[in-house]
Amino acid sequence: MVVDLSSCVRCYACLAACRIEHFLPMGMSWPRLIELETGGDNPTVSTYSVRCNQCKDAPCVEVCPTGATQQRGDGIVWVDQNKCVGCRYCVVACPYQNRTFLSKDKDKGFFPGIVQTDFEKAGKKLYQHQIGTTEKCNFCAERIDVGLAKGLKPGIDREATPACVNTCPAKALTFGDLDEPDSEVSRLIREKGGFQLHPEYNTDPSIYFIDGKIGQVEATKIEDRHQKEPHTVGVGD
Amino acid sequence: MGEKKIIKTTCKSCHGGCGALVTVEDGVIIHIEGNPESPTRGTMCSKGLSSIQHINHPDRLLYPLKRMGKRGEGKWERISWDEALDTIEQKMKESIAKHGASSIAVSQGTGRGYNEYTHRFARSIGTANIITPGYICHSPRLGLYGLVTGYGRLYCDYHGWGGEFPKTQISWAKQLEISSADGEMAVWFLDSLKHVKNLIVIDPRETALSSRATLWLQIRPGTDAALALAMINVIINEGLYDRDFVENWTYGFENLKERVQEYTPERAAEITWLKAEDIRKAARLFAEDTPGCIQIGSSLERQANCGQTLRSIICLLGVTGNIERPGSMVAWMPPDTGLREDFFTEIPITPEMRKGIVGSDEYKMGAARTAHSDTVIKQLLNGNSVIKVWFSVGGQQILHLANTTEVIRALKNLEFLVHADQFMGPMAEIADILLPAAHWLEIDDIYDMHPRFMIEAHNRTVNPPGEAWQDSKIFNEVGKRLAPQYWFENVEKMLDYQLKKGNMTWKDFSKKVVHARMGKDQIYYKYKTDYWRKGGGFPTPTGKMELYSTVLEDLGYDPLPYFQEPGESSVSTPDLAKEFPLVLTTGYRQPFYFLSQYRNIPWLRSFQKDPVMQIHPDTAKQYGIEDGDWAWIESPRGRIKQKARLFPGILRGVVMATANCFYPEEPGPLHGLLKSNPNVLTNNNHCDPMYGSPDLTALLCKVYKAEDEK
Repeated sequence: MVVDLSSCVRCYACLAACRIEHFLPMGMSWPRLIELETGGDNPTVSTYSVRCNQCKDAPCVEVCPTGATQQRGDGIVWVDQNKCVGCRYCVVACPYQNRTFLSKDKDKGFFPGIVQTDFEKAGKKLYQHQIGTTEKCNFCAERIDVGLAKGLKPGIDREATPACVNTCPAKALTFGDLDEPDSEVSRLIREKGGFQLHPEYNTDPSIYFIDGKIGQVEATKIEDRHQKEPHTVGVGD
Repeated sequence: MGEKKIIKTTCKSCHGGCGALVTVEDGVIIHIEGNPESPTRGTMCSKGLSSIQHINHPDRLLYPLKRMGKRGEGKWERISWDEALDTIEQKMKESIAKHGASSIAVSQGTGRGYNEYTHRFARSIGTANIITPGYICHSPRLGLYGLVTGYGRLYCDYHGWGGEFPKTQISWAKQLEISSADGEMAVWFLDSLKHVKNLIVIDPRETALSSRATLWLQIRPGTDAALALAMINVIINEGLYDRDFVENWTYGFENLKERVQEYTPERAAEITWLKAEDIRKAARLFAEDTPGCIQIGSSLERQANCGQTLRSIICLLGVTGNIERPGSMVAWMPPDTGLREDFFTEIPITPEMRKGIVGSDEYKMGAARTAHSDTVIKQLLNGNSVIKVWFSVGGQQILHLANTTEVIRALKNLEFLVHADQFMGPMAEIADILLPAAHWLEIDDIYDMHPRFMIEAHNRTVNPPGEAWQDSKIFNEVGKRLAPQYWFENVEKMLDYQLKKGNMTWKDFSKKVVHARMGKDQIYYKYKTDYWRKGGGFPTPTGKMELYSTVLEDLGYDPLPYFQEPGESSVSTPDLAKEFPLVLTTGYRQPFYFLSQYRNIPWLRSFQKDPVMQIHPDTAKQYGIEDGDWAWIESPRGRIKQKARLFPGILRGVVMATANCFYPEEPGPLHGLLKSNPNVLTNNNHCDPMYGSPDLTALLCKVYKAEDEK
């Protein structure tokens, strides 16, 4: 995944989409937004949309005593909640603090003591969250698997792409295969100087960040633009 | 598991318009996401997505209620819709018989998409006293664009349909990136930035966009007209203006040229706290790298000099020829269903109705077809109120009007107040009859917050809770009782009627979801065609785009734009500035709230619990305020407290307070209304001479730490 800092406008859509997709308990959040505001000569307002980095050398996998935290062939790190015993070694081991222990107080419901909504009731059936286990972003692995089974391509087809990426109004999130040199994510990292957060942790995150100025580039001729990227006429005309 | 279906509809959680796919299983919404086949291409923000919590909220109003105790005492009795409608009918008929139809006001917010119904209802019963937030949000722009385009709409052409995208964009007091407002969509704007050469952001605060823009002009709040006029000065004096457009299609260029001579970049720099060289740079970029467009924010309309500010900006568009050219500002042709506002303009405002409009003597542009809200409030306070009965839907005037303390007192003097809403809140608490309203996921309606090139369908996904009704049904049922000739057998017939020009029924449209005139079906350079005027030209008295406005001249206003200091500032009120040394602006918005809405939605509230005011670390230090402290903000009208956020991206000496906040969880009748709402501080005594817009976003204040807070 590539996160474009020049596009993110801190709207929190990624968090909301995730909460719906996974019927997250009220106190649980898989992605987070980290805000950076600096002054001085080069003032910057940036928002880092962060989530589990799906590290290639994931310390959480290493420390898990029961094998609950596992890495798939495609690199996605996931937690088998049936095997997790809630020891929280992984929470401590993750240098990015992207894992959360689901304690009872994080699952009090949307409107505690008043009502359990129909959506929450449906969620209890459709997506299990086990109190006493550890959770984190799984790149919407379920969605990806259903999409792949239909022959769809992650990052290209919505049905095989994480919910946060689909919903982002600023299109600040791009998803795809880092091992494929022609994928959009590989191109962005190459052309826009993609960087990992805290590379000194030596975990090789699968999420890269890019940044850049808006505009400035010499405007290309309209015909060229149309060939390069679809523009807004696409729908309805 | 039973039936599972995916329903295509349209989000209305802000000004709305994003296509939504809603999955319903056994009558329960289990998923919402964006509709990839819609003009917003499958994106949705946190507000729309959190509708899942909104519709299931245990505090939703479920039944019509009647006030039992004293006003605001919180004692209610459930009544039937029949009783509610009978009472409203009787009170309105009595008031019409005794005081005339103008004694009835109909008010709305900006939220649920009821514009057409509030206006039609009011006109159908013979009153034009419609109270809307329009005069502080969008209407001044429309009125003044009307001097160019006739029907009053210019939009940024982000779409490339004419072969060009905007090369230079100005985002002026606007954060379109965080809300789809005023007929524009965040998604389109953000997409268009991929094609832009220069982005100029004019904002006293730094934003994600401004910190990556070509030029950021950190302007003193309330001085935007001086900047626009100085830009025109540079463009004219350096010969950078669009000669062909100016010579052939504008009126009054020489007068404008003469007027702007006094606004040199140096003088404007003093007024605006900008650098003269930056003003020159902005002017040159906008004039040389064309086409360009300007996204105007409503902060400019929340100032008592708003009419002239907007006139200045529109003249800037004129001298650069950025009207109706692809990639500039364009008046979109509506789809074949026509302008949606035809639904109410087909009932004309009679001379008698016009005479009865509160504030129309003074604010000839703003109170021409709606009432002037602040005059309504003053009359209610002074005991000479034209308005006796107030029918309010959504939009809590008690929150968004200037000088909350006065507004609370004034509203208590009403003879009868009906309010339709989804939750109890400060406005609902003081009503006599309270009606439960439906959410966009629960209604069948035509979406078009502002007339542009498309309409979209709200398709009902689930039934409203309890006995809640959609707003259109409420107006139709009350309308049938008071002016049956204008109303319909049922909502579906009313929707059919609104679509008839497009040879569609509601059922056809509901399936289609989006009905648009896009791409090649739009015509640019309308002034070169017969579109506005036979033989070409603009729909103005002179047939030209009037830089010198003959219409304003006839109404007794200055036909040329000028800059006027805000009513309160270190320049206009230096004595006051000794006690209140900081500039107060009240336009801070969070992307996950929409005006006064959603502080009761758990997911959204989790993003930021308390109202926040931004202040520069140096200024904060001066007043002993640290990051996260609760701080008092005080103006001559009163004081409120918000949580301080030390933000190096704001001008020193400027305080930016979060707008429209109350605490839904706190007890009624006020629900913490006076605690943090910045309108406690704003001034309703000083209003724009054309539009009546009060000083809301450029005032004076002082700040100090709230010691009693944890």
